[in-house]
Amino acid sequence: MKSGVFGVLQRIGRSFMLPIALLPVAGLLLGLGGSFTNESMIEAYNLQNVLGEGTALNAVLTVMREAGDVIFGNLPILFAMGIALGMAKKEKEVATLAAAVGFFVMHASIAAMVKIAVAGGKVFKDGQLASVVGLNSLQMGVFGGIVVGLGVAALHNRYYKKELPPALSFFGGTRFVPIVVTVAYVFVGILMYFIWPVFQQGIALIGEGMQSAGLVGTLIFGLIKRALIPFGLHHVFYMPFWYTEIGGVFPVKEMVDGAVQTVNVAGGQKAFFAELANMQLITHFNSDATQYFSGEFIFMMFGLPGAALAMYKCAKPEKKAVVGGLLLSAALTSFFTGITEPIEFTFLFVAPVLFVIHVILGGLAYMIAHALNVGVGLTFSGGLIDLALFGILPGNSKTSWIWIPIIGAIYFVLYYGIFTFLIKKLDLKTPGREEGDGEVKLFTKDDYRGRESGGAVSENKGDELSAIITIGLGGKANISDVDCCATRLRVTVKNENLVKQEILKGQTGASGVVCKGTGIQVIFGPRVTIVKSNLEDYLESPASDSPVIVSLKEEPKPAAAPSAAFTGNISSPLEGELIPLSEVPDDVFAGEILGKGAAVIPTVGVVKAPFDGTVTSVAETSHAIGITSDDGVEVLIHVGVDTVKLGGKGFSIKVKEDDKIKKGDILNEFDIALIKEAGYPVVTPVIITNTDDYTDVSNLPKGSVTFGQDIIEIK
Amino acid sequence: MKTFDYTITDEIGIHARPAGLLVKEAKKFKSLVTVTLGEKTVKASAMALMGLGAKKGSTITVNVNGEDEDVSAATIETFLKENL
Repeated sequence: MKSGVFGVLQRIGRSFMLPIALLPVAGLLLGLGGSFTNESMIEAYNLQNVLGEGTALNAVLTVMREAGDVIFGNLPILFAMGIALGMAKKEKEVATLAAAVGFFVMHASIAAMVKIAVAGGKVFKDGQLASVVGLNSLQMGVFGGIVVGLGVAALHNRYYKKELPPALSFFGGTRFVPIVVTVAYVFVGILMYFIWPVFQQGIALIGEGMQSAGLVGTLIFGLIKRALIPFGLHHVFYMPFWYTEIGGVFPVKEMVDGAVQTVNVAGGQKAFFAELANMQLITHFNSDATQYFSGEFIFMMFGLPGAALAMYKCAKPEKKAVVGGLLLSAALTSFFTGITEPIEFTFLFVAPVLFVIHVILGGLAYMIAHALNVGVGLTFSGGLIDLALFGILPGNSKTSWIWIPIIGAIYFVLYYGIFTFLIKKLDLKTPGREEGDGEVKLFTKDDYRGRESGGAVSENKGDELSAIITIGLGGKANISDVDCCATRLRVTVKNENLVKQEILKGQTGASGVVCKGTGIQVIFGPRVTIVKSNLEDYLESPASDSPVIVSLKEEPKPAAAPSAAFTGNISSPLEGELIPLSEVPDDVFAGEILGKGAAVIPTVGVVKAPFDGTVTSVAETSHAIGITSDDGVEVLIHVGVDTVKLGGKGFSIKVKEDDKIKKGDILNEFDIALIKEAGYPVVTPVIITNTDDYTDVSNLPKGSVTFGQDIIEIK
Repeated sequence: MKTFDYTITDEIGIHARPAGLLVKEAKKFKSLVTVTLGEKTVKASAMALMGLGAKKGSTITVNVNGEDEDVSAATIETFLKENL
């Protein structure tokens, strides 16, 4: 159940990625357009002739600003369509169209109810209503989009194959989906009209609580957001704070027909961009709105690169070159784009304590930025690009961005110092500190090329990696769904037991693997989109039916002798005469095909357990029994030769498969006379079937033995 | 990955001797061999194969995975036809 919830959340999270990936571009348009059409900035730099109202450049920038703004203004419908797209199992385009239909119908129905109520004299509170795609509807924010997206996807997955009676068959199948959505969302709209105000109150309470909690609230938000990174669920968590009333409702001044009006904008990021679009009207960006992201710049641009430097300095000298390339690229990615997972995952799995430190420092960064009234916005994450557009460009007087490099410098030193100290003190195995000559955990591109050129077949690189991933995921047939977010390949598999984590971790160059039930995430960093499209192409090609890793030198065969810790003697399960296996009159046993060991010509028809262990197999015909000792030694005791043909006659087995046994327990009783009369030798091979796990297995000298006397030596 | 089914015709089924010989065949190659009967899948080791309890009429599924899987699978299939 838990993994089911995780799987659904993971899919919702990645469904957000398509509309969210649009935001940097929208932000760029709005950021450039907003900043350079800002009258106070134009005045400050005396640029009226170039950028002032009426100039051509001003017209271009105004168009850019509006084009960016419309995307932020219509996020709810974009989320509705994005979620339907992501959650639909097949015929995704139909679900996407249906989501737009559902969104219109729902809000139109709500708007109609509002109109009726207003005509009847009902008065709505400030901020309860909003203009949604031109309809005067309830302010539902992106929650409205989520309600539509999830609902439409559910309807779609249920009905896209719906067959209708022959007369109506034109409307069947995928065409039925928008139809059923239209009908359903009329009712959803009416329902929402009645229940949404209740939600609104609850959400507003959370938002007010968040605001009145002040800096403590900021800290808690920051801690939770960082801590969710390993699960990939942070998108689901921060989204409401950025886009809905949960993050608070902020009064923003707007120019409407030449007059200044104050409108209420819900959600931290939306408020920032509303302010940015009307920047000349504000004195400083509202840091109560930007508290959900301004602090990110501090640890993403400065703290984490400090951590990377610490890991580099702590690497073994001979591995510094390889590790350096890896860490430098990860640090630069974090610095410029604010994509932090490549660094975070280098220490998250090998040294969780460092991640705990990172969560705490990260959470504090949000709080410090809030306390210093930093009002820098971002579209996606806290890297240099966003800092330049939404901090530096609008000017320090409005964003107080100057605090970011100042606190950042302290953070760089803090991360560097704490990481260095802990790595050395606790001997943490961060990259380049692994024991022995083991390959550095993350392969760099050069490694990859080197390996490729060493291979006999020059398959293209994408295909080979795809083949490895396919094998790691348990084969093509096991993969039900492939997608990705900014840094992770997100896969849903049919059977999680077939997933070979060690292949995914060790041979794909991935920095980490997260498995929660059937939801598998493989963390590649920003190149994941290419990995994903290669994998998709590969899965559509016939080659994927039987993936073969051509140029990998190591075979994905399990390493031999992992349990070879045991040395010592195996005692006799029988009483009689000990002989070497080679003297058994049967070429299979004598040729040691089943393994090495010894044989006993029994004088008493009883088999006793030679050690404490477990019964692994019992022949249906009762003549043979396989047991495994608690130390991992596998022993087969085969009474007589060819006695399988007796069909169980003359045997009386005392145990069954999976039984726990103690040394001396009676396992099997047999009738020596009966076996001999039937014409079979009664000699009983005692064979170590996992001989390959040990250096050597040999029998002790010939002679008579009793129960418990040593007969086989294992080294 | 190569997969094939085989229905056992030998009166006695997979007992110690054929299990051992089968493992010996499988070990000539680098590929990893697993055998499935019903719900149970085991690696090709003598003990595990006997534990499957495959009898006359049982259909086992053999799965071979690795760089020499083609020739390995062919060899194992031939062995099964001749011995089981």
